[in-house]
Amino acid sequence: MTALAQLGRFGVFAAQVLWRMATPPWEISEAARHTWTVTVRCFLPVIAVVFPFGMVMALQGLQIFNLFGAQRLLSSLVSVAVFRELSPVLASVLVAAQGGSAFAAELGAMRIREEIDATVVMGIDAIRVHVVPRVIATLIAAPILNLVGSLSGICGGFVVAVYVKGEPAGIYWANLWELTAPSDIIGGAFKATIFGLLIGLIACYQGYYTTGGAAGVGRAVNATVVVGITTFIVVNYFLTSALFGAIG
Amino acid sequence: MRMFVTIGQFALFCVAVTRATLTHRPPVAASLQAAYEIGIRSLPILVIISTFVGTNLALQGYNAFKPLGGQSLVGMFVALAGVREMAPIMVAAMVAAKAGTEMASQIAVMRIQEQIDALEVMAVNPYWYLVTPRFAGILLVLPALTIISVFTLLLSSYSVSVFQLGLNGDEFLSHIQQTMSMMDFVFTSVKSIAFGAIICMVSCFYGFYSSPGATGVGAATNASVVVSAVLCSSLNYVLSELLYG
Repeated sequence: MTALAQLGRFGVFAAQVLWRMATPPWEISEAARHTWTVTVRCFLPVIAVVFPFGMVMALQGLQIFNLFGAQRLLSSLVSVAVFRELSPVLASVLVAAQGGSAFAAELGAMRIREEIDATVVMGIDAIRVHVVPRVIATLIAAPILNLVGSLSGICGGFVVAVYVKGEPAGIYWANLWELTAPSDIIGGAFKATIFGLLIGLIACYQGYYTTGGAAGVGRAVNATVVVGITTFIVVNYFLTSALFGAIG
Repeated sequence: MRMFVTIGQFALFCVAVTRATLTHRPPVAASLQAAYEIGIRSLPILVIISTFVGTNLALQGYNAFKPLGGQSLVGMFVALAGVREMAPIMVAAMVAAKAGTEMASQIAVMRIQEQIDALEVMAVNPYWYLVTPRFAGILLVLPALTIISVFTLLLSSYSVSVFQLGLNGDEFLSHIQQTMSMMDFVFTSVKSIAFGAIICMVSCFYGFYSSPGATGVGAATNASVVVSAVLCSSLNYVLSELLYG
């Protein structure tokens, strides 16, 4: 199928999903169950990825600030970078890799085992029952994981700055909020929410239209991760420009 | 408990691959084919990703240094954060997402269709036949991908700094030249080779020990990308500390 037809089908699919998200009846318990699963499954990976990134930020940031003798501003740089950029992006990468790909695999397996067709035959709205709760799950899980990631990134920076490089701990905590405003935290969470929505839609789209047996499920998972990450990194640039207004 | 079993199994897998690689003749044609597939098929996404990572680095660097009056330092920020850290890890993440998941799902499908057993029956060593070419291919091609992504990233952050943020282009370039040296290219290549080895071994491992059925293939593909991402980002800190610390 050509790329344009894919895009059109995705648009129709997304519109169907969003319409069902806005109108009752809602599968609240299913949505809660999926949200819980994604959050739990991504929790440790998010910490394990963002924590070393905070450490690296501190390592390289100290090199810059050593030039001006402004080491005290290290924690400000780490918190700005983590809240605005690193944590939303990395948490969403992990949501796509762990949560989104699991959803694509589940829906793909249901599709090729004809469970989705069975649902439709029984007169049940397959998108409302199978897809909407999963999209809601990534939508809610992404900002929660973003918060977890932000905290672990700041702790990672703390570990390197204080224990490895011997900067004073009090100064690290005191300057943490120097450059960071509440709007940064909200902006980061907003970005993560948008990314979560995109990931959920892309993952469920890939899984829902899987063809070609077990190999097809593998392809759907692959496409979910690749297309999901590419899409939200492109969207990220426009969101960052709009939210944190950087016009010279 | 199960984690330790998996780690032990992974270690045995690595030993088996190493032994098979050293005792058989090198699969030159298959390795080049694998390198071509990994390189060419990951390149378009990598260019897109590194373009937009570069734009965002410039935006965030500008925002971070504005309160200090150091807007002109964006070039230095991009060189330090982008070239040394973001480019290798972003390339690793995307290659794990694209080529790694492909390896995992291809090998998992072979496992559940009993093609791997068929290879053993025909007295072809499956580690040598399936893993060695992919390993050689990813090691050949990943440093090149990383260097391409470094240049894309610099180009896009230069464009954003000059056209969107209105900074001085010459100043940007001279900061980049002051901050970067040839060693940065060597170090990013070292990093990307280490990441490539991890991605390949982890993805092939999960594919090799996939559980049966379509769910098994999905789960193997899923696990391979998450585990590679976690291992690469932890290793990234260790390597940064060793190389730049």
